[in-house]
Amino acid sequence: MDALFSRLTMTGASAMLLLALVVMWRRHVPAYVTAFRTQSVVLAFVGAIVAWMGEVPELFLVAAIILGLKGWIVPRILAGMEARRPDDRGLRPLVNTEMSLLISGGLAVAAYELSRPLTEVVSLPTRSGLPIALALILVSLFIVVSRRQVIAQIVGFLMLENGVALLALLGAYGVPLVVELGVFLDVLLGVLVMQALVPGMEKTSAG
Amino acid sequence: MTPIVLAVTECLCLAIAAPAVVGYVRWLKARLQGRRGADFLQPYRDLRKTFAKGMIIADTTSWIFHLTPCVVVASTVAAAALVPVISASQPGDQLGDLFALMALLILGTIFLALGGLDPGTAFGGMGSSREMTVAALTEPTLAIAILSLALTAGSTSLGTITNTLLTTPANAIGPGHALALAAFLIAMLAETGRLPVDNPATHLELTMIHEAMILEYSGPYLALLEWAAALKLTLLLTLASNLFVPWGIATSLSAGALALGLAAVLAKLALLATLLAVLETRVAKLRLFRVPELLAVSFTLALLAATSSFFTR
Amino acid sequence: MSEAALATALTACAAGAVLAMVWPSGAGARRLSLASACAGCSAALVAAITVLQGSLSWTWRSEALLQPLGGVSLRVDPLGAFFLLIVAVTGAPASLYALGYLRHLDGQVRGRAVHALFNVFLAGMCVVPLADNVATFLFAWEVMALSSYLLVVSDPEQEGAAAAGLWYAVMTHAGFLALLAAFVLLGQGGPLEFPAMRAGAATLPPASQGVVVLLLLAAFGSKAGLVPLHVWLPRAHPAAPSHVSALMSGAMVKLGVYGTIRVLFDLMPPLSPWWGGAVLALGVATALTGVLYSVAEPHLKRVLAYSTVENIGLIFVGLGFALLMRAYGNGVLAAMGLVVALLHTLNHAVFKTLLFLAAGAVIHGARTSSLEGLGGLIKRMPHTAVLCLVGVLALAAVPPLNGFTSEWLTFQLLVAGARYTEPALAIVLPLALAAVALVAGLAAVSAVRLFGIAFLALPRTDSARDAHEAPAIMRAAMLLPAAGCIVLGLIPTLAVAQLTAVVSDLGLPMGQLDTGFALVLPLVGSQLWPIAIAALLGAGAVVAAAVAQTSRGPVRTDTTWNCGRIAQSPRQEYTAAAFAEPLKRVFTGFYRPTHEVSLDVHPVSPYFVRGITLRADFAPWMEQTLYTPLIRAARWVSGQAGRLQTGSIHLYLAFLPGALLVLLLIARWIR
Repeated sequence: MDALFSRLTMTGASAMLLLALVVMWRRHVPAYVTAFRTQSVVLAFVGAIVAWMGEVPELFLVAAIILGLKGWIVPRILAGMEARRPDDRGLRPLVNTEMSLLISGGLAVAAYELSRPLTEVVSLPTRSGLPIALALILVSLFIVVSRRQVIAQIVGFLMLENGVALLALLGAYGVPLVVELGVFLDVLLGVLVMQALVPGMEKTSAG
Repeated sequence: MTPIVLAVTECLCLAIAAPAVVGYVRWLKARLQGRRGADFLQPYRDLRKTFAKGMIIADTTSWIFHLTPCVVVASTVAAAALVPVISASQPGDQLGDLFALMALLILGTIFLALGGLDPGTAFGGMGSSREMTVAALTEPTLAIAILSLALTAGSTSLGTITNTLLTTPANAIGPGHALALAAFLIAMLAETGRLPVDNPATHLELTMIHEAMILEYSGPYLALLEWAAALKLTLLLTLASNLFVPWGIATSLSAGALALGLAAVLAKLALLATLLAVLETRVAKLRLFRVPELLAVSFTLALLAATSSFFTR
Repeated sequence: MSEAALATALTACAAGAVLAMVWPSGAGARRLSLASACAGCSAALVAAITVLQGSLSWTWRSEALLQPLGGVSLRVDPLGAFFLLIVAVTGAPASLYALGYLRHLDGQVRGRAVHALFNVFLAGMCVVPLADNVATFLFAWEVMALSSYLLVVSDPEQEGAAAAGLWYAVMTHAGFLALLAAFVLLGQGGPLEFPAMRAGAATLPPASQGVVVLLLLAAFGSKAGLVPLHVWLPRAHPAAPSHVSALMSGAMVKLGVYGTIRVLFDLMPPLSPWWGGAVLALGVATALTGVLYSVAEPHLKRVLAYSTVENIGLIFVGLGFALLMRAYGNGVLAAMGLVVALLHTLNHAVFKTLLFLAAGAVIHGARTSSLEGLGGLIKRMPHTAVLCLVGVLALAAVPPLNGFTSEWLTFQLLVAGARYTEPALAIVLPLALAAVALVAGLAAVSAVRLFGIAFLALPRTDSARDAHEAPAIMRAAMLLPAAGCIVLGLIPTLAVAQLTAVVSDLGLPMGQLDTGFALVLPLVGSQLWPIAIAALLGAGAVVAAAVAQTSRGPVRTDTTWNCGRIAQSPRQEYTAAAFAEPLKRVFTGFYRPTHEVSLDVHPVSPYFVRGITLRADFAPWMEQTLYTPLIRAARWVSGQAGRLQTGSIHLYLAFLPGALLVLLLIARWIR
């Protein structure tokens, strides 16, 4: 049973990492928004599995909120931003696609090496997904650094949040419910504020 | 059934089924695009018709032009001899392993490229240059995919990989295996010249890779080259299905097990061919300078597969 | 028996050098000196095989020669014998080849000098692997370097030869100094003999050990062609006459590999894994650099020189792997790594000799050395084309030739090592495997480009159109390494069996690597049977040809389809630069291409363009970042030192008593 738990969560985590890699590959913003939405759905799914097999019932609520907030509301806001002002400035990213993918692969390999002490300390059956969560965090940081479009940078930041949530889920079966609710509120407010600031960001980061 | 007879039978199966696989993909694509499409036996009729036609040899060519179809056919058949088709007891293991198989396919590619350069046309040069570039860039992906298979199986020989997966199916659940399969399939699209890397149905010179190299060939030579291309596609599809999803393959040499193995491989081939047809209908061809991006994606997938195989060992 | 054979070999080379200078007739001098060189190589081959078969080991000392430096001391052991074998296998075809290649130099003194230097070069290369003390080693090393330098600059019509020679001379002498310093450190004040160093190496303090290894890697790596010390190789190898290029690429750079193995595996105790990892990383970087440049170079011999750099990288990948495994205590894998590295050394020597000799034949026949000027040679030079095809296929590492065998073994090695549970290896080895696979693919591109552009389609210039076939002796000389490629590819156990002696002598346990004609790997369980693959390929090709012949359609020859144009012209063909264009775009960060467009306009109006010139080149960023600052610093230092030359004779006279005073003061203080 533990082996099945471990494999399922690892598969979910890998799917999330692959969706982050989609941002490396594709050039248009709608693809990024779709990738983020799918990633949040998978995160909710992973949360549900941890809730069921790890026997932590409050994670069901967390998974539902992830599904609603990050799987529906935030992507709608992002799609709205994109539809109102299509960011057609330069589709070529700062680092070209092949190099981005190779660097992401390198970051994933580095994450495996870096998380070895972590996996030795944690004794939960989900610990084999921890390196993947760390890789997701590193790749999301790279997305923020290397994409030109402002909405792509916002998507990178949101994927970073997803990665941190995944790390918490797999490493400690989630954080206390109060903290989770606080984080969700932060994310929602952050996206709403960024929605107002995007035109300003586009003007300043003119390259 | 002695090993030699078994090996020859497996090779013949692939050789005979190859045009049918291509025919099935074409028919299904036609149906998906709203056309009637010729039935899946049409490639056999095409081959017979092309074979009976006369040949025009360009006067700028040399003996390399005549040698190329022979070497391409020989290398593809030799590679097909290594693939486990019906039975998991692989007599071809004594010849070589996965790396040898990839090298045999490269031998065919090299001679195709030389045959494209020989007539001295711009199209041939274009096709050769692009084909060699794509072949070179798929090498790392294939090597890492082979590595991730070999890590779990302990060897790069095809029979061992198949048998290990049959005896310990738990290895197949988990991201490593699926990622390696995805990487292998993308690399296979590049190697066999299917969409989105190359369009096998186009005859616009600037969009061709494989077709540009065989543009000067006609008659029996063209029939041999087309059949070799179909065989390459079939053997790579069989490889993908029997290395990654081997259940159904015969583990003993009894008639019942062999019949079941044949049925299993035909079913898997049909499934993969269906997926290929759907994919080809869905995507557009990538421009040549974006193909390396696709190959970088497949390389990253393979690298992730290898690193996660390490972790689950 | 091996003593006598070795003595014969060295005497023959010496005799050849003397005969080249003193024999009255020029043609006779050429024939005798080169025949003597060939005989010397054959004797050396016999000596080497005897030692390897019997796993012998004997020494020879003479206090009389080189007396002030400690006498000449030779030790023939399997490792030295193997590299002697490589020199012989490369030298024999090269000497036969020169019989026809240098016929035009018969009346000139330069011709005699070239033949004499060739013999001296061979003699030096034969002694280096057998040296047992520092004096002999460095003496032979310097003889080798000087004679090859003179051979590189020997052709006054070769453009860039002088500059190439300068780069070569400076770098090889810098290496010499590094070697001297390293050996002195390794000697720790005792006698500068290899046996003494071997015994005392365990007591070397770690800091010293690190410095020694670094200096030796730099010196031997520069000779072998490791990045970033490889820059002399693509300049010097194309400038030398083709048989000398073959010898340099086939044998001389391998002596850099010999030095590395001798020091790191024989003289010094097992080092920390960091050195193994460093060597592995250097090997990978070298292989990638070499192959990427060889794909894009337009000069025929420079393509081959960069390909040498690539293969040296692959050899060092094997060596680095062996060092890593030895550091982690896995003797079997370390032995396998060393065997694979040595096997690739031999295979590369054989097919690179063939390719350089073929390139020489092409340049001799078509009188142009740029790929952009060749074409259609397969019809004018049919035998050379076939032989070159064998070499090119070995370069591309396709079965069943010898290049594929060592490539396959390298892959298997990295897979076997990657299954190790050491986490650092778990990250490094898959990346190395991916890089080696990419190198293999790019080498295939380079091979197709080399053969396809040079030999196929229509000739691109008049000199290619009027090309003539190479003389018979040159073709016969090329037949030897071609046969070697095929035989070593079909029966790899011939070479692998010899390597058992080498590896056991170095103290590593050698597992059973073959059964009869197939290669079976004990750890990974994979098998390769080249003869069966060759038989299958042959049968398939014959059947396909027969099937094509039985068709009843008419066959006729006609002009190539060219989309309605009147005639097929060579301007429609793909050029060498065009062939590599997609790869140049993918790796544009590496190549850093520069474009210069200049318009030649009519004086009346700038809208009437008379001509457009495009100059496309690569920025030599490695030279610019590493070597230009060094050269500038050296110039600055010598400029400052030039201040001493004020012209005043009183100052010059004052130097003498001034130096005397300083020395007396120092002697007083030291006491």
